[in-house]
Amino acid sequence: MIPWQNTIKMHGSFIHFFLQVNFHDLISVIYGFLVLLVLLIAFIIVYTFYKRKVAYKKKLWRENIAIMISQVIFNEDDGTAPLQISFDDVKLLHKSRFRQYVIDEVIPAKKNLSGSATENLKKLFNTLELDKDSFKKLRNKKWHIKAKGIQELAIMEQVKYVKEIFKLTNNKNESVRNEAQCALVSFYGFEGFRFLNVTTHPISQWQQISLLNNLHDVQPSNLQVIEKWMQSPNESIIIFSLKLATLYSWYYAYDQVIRCLQNPDRQIKLNALAYLTKMPREDTPDEVIAQYSFGDKKIKLAILAILQEVGTEKHLPFLLKQLHNMDDTIKAAAAKTLSYLHPLGIAFLHTHLFADEYPWNAIFLQIEKDRAA
Amino acid sequence: MIILVAEDEMMMLKTIELRLKKDGHQLIICQDGREAIRKIEESSPDLIITDIMMPFASGLEIIEAVKRKGGKRIPVIVLSAMGQENVVLQAFQLGADDYITKPFSPNELSMRVKRYIPESIST
Repeated sequence: MIPWQNTIKMHGSFIHFFLQVNFHDLISVIYGFLVLLVLLIAFIIVYTFYKRKVAYKKKLWRENIAIMISQVIFNEDDGTAPLQISFDDVKLLHKSRFRQYVIDEVIPAKKNLSGSATENLKKLFNTLELDKDSFKKLRNKKWHIKAKGIQELAIMEQVKYVKEIFKLTNNKNESVRNEAQCALVSFYGFEGFRFLNVTTHPISQWQQISLLNNLHDVQPSNLQVIEKWMQSPNESIIIFSLKLATLYSWYYAYDQVIRCLQNPDRQIKLNALAYLTKMPREDTPDEVIAQYSFGDKKIKLAILAILQEVGTEKHLPFLLKQLHNMDDTIKAAAAKTLSYLHPLGIAFLHTHLFADEYPWNAIFLQIEKDRAA
Repeated sequence: MIILVAEDEMMMLKTIELRLKKDGHQLIICQDGREAIRKIEESSPDLIITDIMMPFASGLEIIEAVKRKGGKRIPVIVLSAMGQENVVLQAFQLGADDYITKPFSPNELSMRVKRYIPESIST
């Protein structure tokens, strides 16, 4: 059968069905639809009204909370007097949703203000026992609630919960352990890195930056622990400890850093080279040249850059050899280092055997331009 | 002194309001950039304190509006978050007079505002 003939047959059966429906049934159906429609409209009206009421209540709460907090901030500028909280509806302070609103207002205020104002905010947080609300979140099974609780306690400097937070620094959920690790560092500065002794999960690049941002020590006392972290089986901890050693210019980690140069991990090698650029010794050029052939292009370039800083005339044969490397970028880096180390200085480029040949002529010209700039 | 404060965070707004009112200033409060621009055109504040990131119009647009208005010179203090150095530079290029980085102390803000009180009022 042709498809359009099928369609006509179907339409015919529909028409036949409707012709069989009596008037009474039709009215009942229409009535039913109308009742449903009225119910739907009523539901929409009631729901909209409810939502508006909630939004209005929220706005009112937020305003009241903002007034309460701003008064607390200026309670006593010396920060020693007991806190006086003026709030009209004390019953509200027992509602968990309202308490969360207070927390949601106190946290940004703590982040945005400094000085005695933050001390008063901490006092408010403790007086209203909001720390207990945040701590309750730590026990929650959902990871995002757990992470939020840790963040709140960290911002409000609730060091008394450190034991529980420390346990979460090796949590299987990345967000939870990241928050816990940052909390520890914000509490204790460098001392807070003690979680590096126990953590088995990798620490992402982003987390390493966050941890360093939370660091507030100018010069911590027990930096020798960095050398222990450099021997960790967790490669990300080795990378992070190399960054810490570079940041604090920890001279005593030198031997361990040289050992890290032999590590097969590329990031470890690069961070070790970054340390050596900042903290070179007399034997550094020989140590890095020994690793040159094992490195990829990026590592080779980093080694040539170090030589520019700490190399001597003794290393000229090595550099001259690199002028014939297959890779033009390496040729350029070697030429640049040579222009610094060679007794003739930049004039050396003109005396070279291939000074007029491509690509050396282009590379040398570029180096001259760069150095002139 | 009449100070226009533009800040979208209620908590910060109330804190600034309370501090500056304590110092005896009259305040014009705005919770978004568009409202601030409208109020600058309607009234004539002696000083403007504005956040940078705000709904509808940014603090930079407020500075532009102040300069567009002409007439008496109105100093502008910008409130910026840490890491917004580029925006602060842009604000200075547009004609901002000062900036405070969050987190800041309300007392510091109060002292900075005092620098802009005209001599006729302070004496």
